[in-house]
Amino acid sequence: MPLSLFWLQGGGCSGDSMALLNLEGPNLFAQLEYIGIELLWHPSLSHGTPRQYDELLAALLAGERPLDILCLEGAVIRGPGGTGMYDTHRRRPKKDLIAALAHRARYVVAVGTCASFGGVGGDGDVEATGLQYRKRQKGGFLGADFTSGAGLPVINLPGCPCHPEIVVRMLASLEGHWALPLNEFNSPLQWYGMLVHQGCIRNEYHEYRVEETDFGRRGCLFFHLGCQGPLTHGPCNKLRWNNRNSKTSAGVPCLGCTDPEFPKQHPFFKTRNIAGIPYDLPEGVDRAHYLAYKGMAAAAAPERLLARKTRV
Amino acid sequence: MMAHRTILNIPMNRVEGDLEISVAIEDATVVDAWSSGLMYRGIENILRNRDAMDGLVITPRVCGICTTSHLTAAAMALDAVSGAAVPDNAIRMRNLALLTEQVQSDVRHAFLMFHVDFTNPAHAQAEWYAEAMHRYQPFKGKCVIETVRETGKLVEVIAIIGGQWPHSSFMVPGGLASAPSAGDLLQCEMLVRQFRGWYEKRILGCTIERWQQVQSLADLDAWLEENDRHRQSEVGFFLRIGRAVGLDRLGAGVKNFLSYGAFPLPGDTTLTPLGGHGDRLVPAGFLQGTTLLGFDQTEIREQVKYSWYEDDPGGRHPDNGLTRPYATGAEGFKYSWAKAPRYRGLPAETGPLAERLVARDPLITDLVGRLGATALTRQFARLTRPATMLPVMEQWLAETDPNGLYYRHPAELVAGEGYGLTQVPRGALGHWLRIEEGRIVNYQIITPTAWNGSPRDDHDVRGPWEEALVGTSVKDPANPVELGHVVRSFDPCLVCTVHAATGGNRNPRNTRFKV
Repeated sequence: MPLSLFWLQGGGCSGDSMALLNLEGPNLFAQLEYIGIELLWHPSLSHGTPRQYDELLAALLAGERPLDILCLEGAVIRGPGGTGMYDTHRRRPKKDLIAALAHRARYVVAVGTCASFGGVGGDGDVEATGLQYRKRQKGGFLGADFTSGAGLPVINLPGCPCHPEIVVRMLASLEGHWALPLNEFNSPLQWYGMLVHQGCIRNEYHEYRVEETDFGRRGCLFFHLGCQGPLTHGPCNKLRWNNRNSKTSAGVPCLGCTDPEFPKQHPFFKTRNIAGIPYDLPEGVDRAHYLAYKGMAAAAAPERLLARKTRV
Repeated sequence: MMAHRTILNIPMNRVEGDLEISVAIEDATVVDAWSSGLMYRGIENILRNRDAMDGLVITPRVCGICTTSHLTAAAMALDAVSGAAVPDNAIRMRNLALLTEQVQSDVRHAFLMFHVDFTNPAHAQAEWYAEAMHRYQPFKGKCVIETVRETGKLVEVIAIIGGQWPHSSFMVPGGLASAPSAGDLLQCEMLVRQFRGWYEKRILGCTIERWQQVQSLADLDAWLEENDRHRQSEVGFFLRIGRAVGLDRLGAGVKNFLSYGAFPLPGDTTLTPLGGHGDRLVPAGFLQGTTLLGFDQTEIREQVKYSWYEDDPGGRHPDNGLTRPYATGAEGFKYSWAKAPRYRGLPAETGPLAERLVARDPLITDLVGRLGATALTRQFARLTRPATMLPVMEQWLAETDPNGLYYRHPAELVAGEGYGLTQVPRGALGHWLRIEEGRIVNYQIITPTAWNGSPRDDHDVRGPWEEALVGTSVKDPANPVELGHVVRSFDPCLVCTVHAATGGNRNPRNTRFKV
C-alpha cells in the first residue's frame, strides 16, 4: 500500500515546493513513485475540481480515508489577535484546518523554516508560528505534547527553502529500515547534525584567517560580512544546491536560514564583532582559545591565500 | 422579473498564494466578479527598522517562484539610494539571472498550471482530449515531466552565478557578491544552449531563427500549415485547441497595459532596445487602448477602499505608502488583502502580453489588433516570450568578461530614497524604500499580481481579471473550467481558494470576523 501524502500551504512563499521541483536523479514524480507515496493533493501541482478537493478533505477529516503523511509548507498564521483570519480557507482560519489534519495524520512533517519555527512572519503582525516550535521555544501551534498517529512529534525540516533531497529522503525513511535520530528541535541529525561551514570551498581561507571586508572576493565571509555558516546546522555544502553550488561557495554569506530564529534581527551582511573577532563564535568554541588560534593562523597564512591566488 | 442569480466562489489550485474568486452568474454568464487575496503576511512591516541591506534577504521570500525578481528590484532600489555605478559585467549577470527565472517561470506556468486545464473532464468529449492527457496530465504527462526536467536544469544557471535557486541574495548594491569564473560562464552557456535545443524542438517545433520570421497573424497561420512539426509542437497544439476551446473569445480585460521596462543595457553591448525605444532592453510604457504613453512612476497610486486596510481616500504613492491592516466583517464591504494599484487613476493589465505590446512586438501587436487581448493571446505571448529572450541570454553570456569587474563598492547606505522597477515573469514589479540612519523606514512593494488581481478601487472600478471574468459563459457551475482559463491566463501568483455556494441573496463580500 502506498503512503498517502497531503501537502498543505500555510503562510509561506511556495519556495519549498519550487525547490522540490528541481530534484534530480530521478525527478520528483518518479522518486515519489519509487518510495511508494501517493500524492493526494498539492496546491501548486494537483488538478481536480473544487468539488473533488472538498470531497477529499471531507473524507480525510472524517477518517474515512487514511492520511499517512501531512506536509505543511509555510507558517501557521495566528493573527490578528489569535483569530488566524490573516490566512483563511473557506472563510475560516486556515489554522483550524491545519490542526484538524494534523490530528488525523500518522506523520506530520514541517517543510521549511516557516512551518518548523515561524520563520519570516515570526516577528510580524501575522503572529506566525511553527507547528511545534515558535523559534527555540517548544510548543508552537500544536503544543509541546503533540504526537502524530505514529507516536512521533512533528518532524522539522528547516531551511529557506528546505533542500529537496532532505524532503524526499525523510519521506522515504518514515517507514524504512533506518531510524533517523532527531536533534533537540526534532530535526534529523542525518542532515542537521553538520554545519553549513563544513564543506564550504572557502574553508582554507577561513583556516588562515583570510577574511574579506567587501563582496566579490575569494576569502572567508565569517568575520565581517555576516556569514553564519559556522553556526548554522544544515548540509548546504554537502548536498549542493541545484546539483551545482552553495551560497557560501559562490560568495554569498550564509544567512542562517535553518536556524530557529531565522530571520534574526541583526543585519544580514554585517558580523557583530568584539575587538575584530565575531561576537558569535563557531558552535561550541571557547573564546580564549579561538583568539589564540586565530592569531597564530593569521601569522601562518601562506602568500597564495593572502594574495587571493587560490581561486575558489 | 429578476433573473436567477448564483454566487459562485471558485477554488483554484495551481497558482502561487491564496486567492478566492467570487462570481455572480445569471443565465449561465458571469455578470460580476470579485478577486480576493486571502493571505496577509505583513512583509512590508517586517522590513521596517531593519538594516538597509536586509531587503535583499527578506523580499525574495515574498515569492518562491519570483525570488530572483524581488532580489533584482531590491538591489536596484539600493543602487539608486547609494548612487552605485554597477559594472557592465554585473549588469549582464543580473539580467541573465532574471531572464533565467523568467524563462523557467513562463514554461512551468504553461505546462504545470495553464495547459493542465485542457485535461479537465469538461473537455473529455473533444477529439484532442486524449492527446492533451498524454501531454499535460499532472505528474505523468510527457510535457509535464519534460518541463520539470528541463526547467530544473535551466535554473542551475542561477545556482552557478549566485549559489542556489530559489532564495539566494547574490545581487548587492554595486553589482554581485559573487564573481563567476570563465569555467562558470561556460557551464551556464551549455545549460542555456541545452534548454534552447529543447525549447526549439518541443515548444516551437522549429528553430528560433525560423520563428522570428513569424511577424503577423497571416504569418502565424502559414507557419501552422507549413508542416506537421509545427502543428504538433506545443505552440501549434495550443493554437489548435485554444481556438477549439474558445480561448480567443474569453478573458478580454481592461485594455490598459503597463510595463515598467527591464534589463538595463551594458555600455558596450551589441543589443538594442526591443521596439527601438527606451534605454533598457524591454521598454517601459503605458498603453491606453492603442495609444502608447511614456511611463512615469509618480503616476502610481495604491487605493484601499475595498482592501482590508485602514481607509485612506484617494490612495497613496508608494513613496509614502502605508500598510495598516484593518479587517472587520461589520461593513461587509472590503474583500481583499491586495491593495488596488492604479496608473493615472486606471486599472492596468501587466505581464508578457502587456510587455510585448508596449515594446511594439509586431506579431503580438497584429494578433491583439485582429483577435483582441484574450486568454488566447495572453497565454500565447507568454509561451513564445522565451523565443525572444533565449538568444539574448546567449549574447550576454558571450559578452561577459570573466576577468572584469563584477562589483564596485558603492557609497554607504546612510539615508535616502530609492526605487527598483522591473519587468519580471508576471509583469511589473516595484520596490520603493526610504532609509534613515542606515535603517529601513518604509518599504513598499507592488507585485504584478497586485495589478492584475486588484480589487475595486476608490471609484468602484474593477481590477483587470475581475473585468476579464465578466461576460464569461459557464456551462457547469460545479466545474467552471472557463473561469480557470481566464484567471490562469494572467498567471496569478496567489493560491486561489474557492467554494461553491448557490442562492440568490448571498453577498460574497460579507466576511464575518473582527479584529
